[in-house]
Amino acid sequence: MIEKDIYILGIETSCDETSFSIVKNGCEEIATVISSQIDIHKDYGGVVPEIASRNHVKNITIVLEECLEKANMKMKDIDAIAITYGPGLIGSLLIGLEAAKTLSFIYNKPLIPVHHIAGHIYANNLVKELQFPLLAIVVSGGHTELVKMTSHYKFQKLGATLDDAIGECYDKVARVINLAYPGGPKLDKLAKNGEATYKLPLPLKDDDYNFSFSGLKSAVINLVHNEEQRGQEINKENLAASFQKVAIESIIIKAKKAIKSENIKHIVIAGGVAASNGLRKAITDMGIELEVDISFPPIKYCTDNAAMIAAAGYYAYKDGRIADLSLNSKSNDKLC
Amino acid sequence: MKVLYIDTSLNYLYAGISDENDLLIEIQERLEQNLSRDAVPKIASMFEKTNIKPTEIDKIIVVDGPGSFTGIRIGITIAKIYAHSLKVKITTISSLEAMAISNDRASYFVPIIDARRGYVYSAIYDKDMKEVMFPQHMKLSLLEKKLESISDYLIITNDEIKIDGIKTTYKPNILKIINKYKNRKNINPHSVNPNYLKLTEAEESRISSDRKAN
Repeated sequence: MIEKDIYILGIETSCDETSFSIVKNGCEEIATVISSQIDIHKDYGGVVPEIASRNHVKNITIVLEECLEKANMKMKDIDAIAITYGPGLIGSLLIGLEAAKTLSFIYNKPLIPVHHIAGHIYANNLVKELQFPLLAIVVSGGHTELVKMTSHYKFQKLGATLDDAIGECYDKVARVINLAYPGGPKLDKLAKNGEATYKLPLPLKDDDYNFSFSGLKSAVINLVHNEEQRGQEINKENLAASFQKVAIESIIIKAKKAIKSENIKHIVIAGGVAASNGLRKAITDMGIELEVDISFPPIKYCTDNAAMIAAAGYYAYKDGRIADLSLNSKSNDKLC
Repeated sequence: MKVLYIDTSLNYLYAGISDENDLLIEIQERLEQNLSRDAVPKIASMFEKTNIKPTEIDKIIVVDGPGSFTGIRIGITIAKIYAHSLKVKITTISSLEAMAISNDRASYFVPIIDARRGYVYSAIYDKDMKEVMFPQHMKLSLLEKKLESISDYLIITNDEIKIDGIKTTYKPNILKIINKYKNRKNINPHSVNPNYLKLTEAEESRISSDRKAN
């Protein structure tokens, strides 16, 4: 018997992107619309939560309309509505949540709560079907985690950062060398043209799967400070390359350990830092060395988008994870 | 004509469904932090209890502020998604208008919402609902001065405001609000947005630092 196609409408408003997407069967993107507020927030040197919330409200019906038009579909064609319930900025999350709950109510469609990081992991399913056991390397402005999956929508945390997230660390180092917000991607670009000439300590050399980046961040700040005091100019390209080398190496060491001892078949990268060229190259090399399948989300789905939420939502839906209309947003919530 | 009324601007859920001159059902409940969780299911329950389908609504009246920023956004998001999706006519009113019209027996009506740090959102309406003072974010001391020039006024507020005059707590007369405003001009749902009456702090401090720089 041929199974009926399932169309999920995904909604994502956890930070400063208002996004709607329709995905078929968890893997085939039909249409995605993302309205980014990056130009508004860069004047403030970072995302201003209240301004983000205000813009989500302004955009919400426009983005929904564009998405349905792009897909040439109507709400009646949708099987279920997947919504990022958390984590994220609470004021931003709430706009998507209320929109999703209202749609669920007026059209009587199932409501599927999706964890933001589950979304980032499932962005990979839009490129290549996930194989298990799978290791997800989650690297973003708010997260640095190794997550193991033995089947769809079953997450097990192997380790995480004990302090700063890697993306946060990228942004802070970028600020130290005066790169404009958002500095992380600019730092990655600089690193490409530099050499790792500055000595920086490799963080957290231990036996578990955890990370620590605050020491590395402090080391960079101290180094810049000391060079300035000595009247020496910092070579930004080389500093970026030195920082990136150590940051990535600490991830690779732990990932290798996990691949070997957890019998991993497939590695996926998830989160904003998955767009980093340096990280992609290092992980590709690791995949070749250890003969493990690797997939990256397409660059356009490294940042926040609703396609990944709809993709994850499909598997959550199949797993029976349906919420009622009293679903609430959570600014902090663990995936596993 | 069936009208759906939604106001989430004041930490309460005030909602109702009317059919011509009858208020079929209403909710007046203090929800505070639970507004985001409970607003939609409680609105949905009004439909269930009255056996009305969401498609049967002819017009939505939604309060667009001022009040709690998060609260306003909850009601506006529900209302604009609903109106846009089901092609229902929609219009907005201010929380201050709703507060004023729900009362009678005074010459002037002075709704006040606490905006903290000595500021309030307020307006002054006469008994025909004409704006004597337009809705604004203002110092409480300035409002006190404005009130010196009028007499026989009624203050309507849910907050602890230190100000002279006869006060009443806000209890919306939802049928009266609906009947007064149900024929107000329809707005394109895309353009239904909160009316905060106040910039964000980030915008305010940027403007003041720009001024200093100039």
